[in-house]
Amino acid sequence: MRVEYINPFVEATFNVLREVLQSDVKRGELYLKSTSMPVMGVAAIVGLAGDVEGRVLFDMDKPTALKIASAMNNEELKDFDDLVKATITELANMITAQAVTKLHDLGFRFDLTPPAIFTGENMEVSNADVEALIVPMETGHGKIEINVAIRERA
Amino acid sequence: MTTQAEREVRAETAEPSRKTEKIDFKMVTFSLAGKEYGIDIMSVKEIAKASRFTYVPNASTFVRGVYNLRGDIISVIDLRIFFHLPAERKEDEALESLIILKIDEHVFGVIVDAIDKVVGIAASSIQPPHPIFGDINVKYIKGIVENGGKLYIILDVEKIFAPERPEDTPKSAVPDLRGEAAKTESAEAEGAAGGDIAASFVKETLAAFRGFHVTGVNEAWFRSRFAEWKAERKDSDLQLREASEADRFLEGFWSPFTGALWDEAYAAEVERALPPIEAKSINVWNPGCGKGYETWAFACVMRRRYPDARVKIWANDSDLLAISMAPNMVFPENIAEYYRPFTAKGRNGLVFVQAVRDSIFFEFHDVMNANTLPPLDLILCRDMLSFVAPIDQKRLLGDFIDKLKPNGIALCGANERLGEGWAAAGTEAVPAFRKEQ
Repeated sequence: MRVEYINPFVEATFNVLREVLQSDVKRGELYLKSTSMPVMGVAAIVGLAGDVEGRVLFDMDKPTALKIASAMNNEELKDFDDLVKATITELANMITAQAVTKLHDLGFRFDLTPPAIFTGENMEVSNADVEALIVPMETGHGKIEINVAIRERA
Repeated sequence: MTTQAEREVRAETAEPSRKTEKIDFKMVTFSLAGKEYGIDIMSVKEIAKASRFTYVPNASTFVRGVYNLRGDIISVIDLRIFFHLPAERKEDEALESLIILKIDEHVFGVIVDAIDKVVGIAASSIQPPHPIFGDINVKYIKGIVENGGKLYIILDVEKIFAPERPEDTPKSAVPDLRGEAAKTESAEAEGAAGGDIAASFVKETLAAFRGFHVTGVNEAWFRSRFAEWKAERKDSDLQLREASEADRFLEGFWSPFTGALWDEAYAAEVERALPPIEAKSINVWNPGCGKGYETWAFACVMRRRYPDARVKIWANDSDLLAISMAPNMVFPENIAEYYRPFTAKGRNGLVFVQAVRDSIFFEFHDVMNANTLPPLDLILCRDMLSFVAPIDQKRLLGDFIDKLKPNGIALCGANERLGEGWAAAGTEAVPAFRKEQ
């Protein structure tokens, strides 16, 4: 993945999470991964198109998703219902959109697809020929992993 | 057994060509799933129509059976199934179009949809394969050629059907890399020769401390360095006990200007080692670019060597810290004259002009993961192969062979050599290698 793409995603994630959660957020060590990876339980995915092709996946476990949705809605949510899903989807949208805006300012043209959310147990994402950048984020509500795979259109 | 089709083919060949180009390559053309293909006529023994092949149990799905060709039993391969293309299954009685190939001493038949004719072309008009022809693995395609308004994909039947000799397998791409076995073997050999088991210890510690693996790529350098080392240490205490000693051992290994912008003389030397390339666009892969100095230098060398071509350089490194600074690198005012035409004043010093910047993609990427690259004209991999484990090196060199165009070259480190499967193409100071045809 192009070096120029990394910072916008890391910054956008950091800024948006800190803003919506109103709490401290810590970034873990970035790394690359290409094997299939387990999904913690809730995964929101946003597709990217334009000069590039790729996707951004936001991965967290259910309790984290509930707590984040509760914090974002300012109310205690107990069930993993439509509101929670919509909130997490919106979070994914906000982060990706901010990153894409930053990239746009740098001269890269990206388009977004509407986010989709997947939930379930023992899920796994596998596309072996795609290398993803993993940005682990530690929030006060639990861990979120942002999994960015972008490649130049040949 | 002169068939109708055969007569047609002869008629076509006899027809005088109106082309002014020199015709030095003839191919038999045929179609598979609606696309046109060609096979070098030198590999084609004859063509025929036949049916009722004798089924062979337990053979691969693409083997249709065996056939009695005037007393010779030949095996018959369905090319459509071989390439995973849709194949219409005809009645047992229906005649199939068969091209009889002779490769080395082997004769066999391949079934195609329809045989068209013999086409004569100039070998120079054959273009290298393009990944767009996705149906068939690029490594089985010799090239593509246009004739009479049609595009023909020329199959490399020798690659497809030649019996796999051990040196044909990707392993061979790597000069003598038998991994651990090689280490112990060579150690034993040395041990027998000079009572020198220490060399194998040094190899082990180099790998442990610095990830430097002694393989065919750098064996020659290692031997001479080890001899030096022995002389330095007066035969006692040869082992590397800590990382700093490993660094000292490796001191002489690095290519010129590692981690710095190349100086004028070296850049000119690299420029000389580059082959003439006619193509309008040139693709370069620079795995292990580190901080990116060599990529910037090479981008300028490329602009001087091929001023009219559109150059694209994919520069990768898996060290995020090193590569993250690469795209926005700033250089001091006293930059070598060689680079001056490509620089402009930036806020904090000199930066390269947009045209040079646009030619480089710096990517945070681990070459052990899938490398998605277009066919390459050049690979710049200085001192990089020595730092991947032998088994990964083998895979990577296989990738090099796959991705490099037939006339492409790979430039490696000053003390590295690509062995079997590669022919030397560079200069003394800048070793470069081309694929053996």
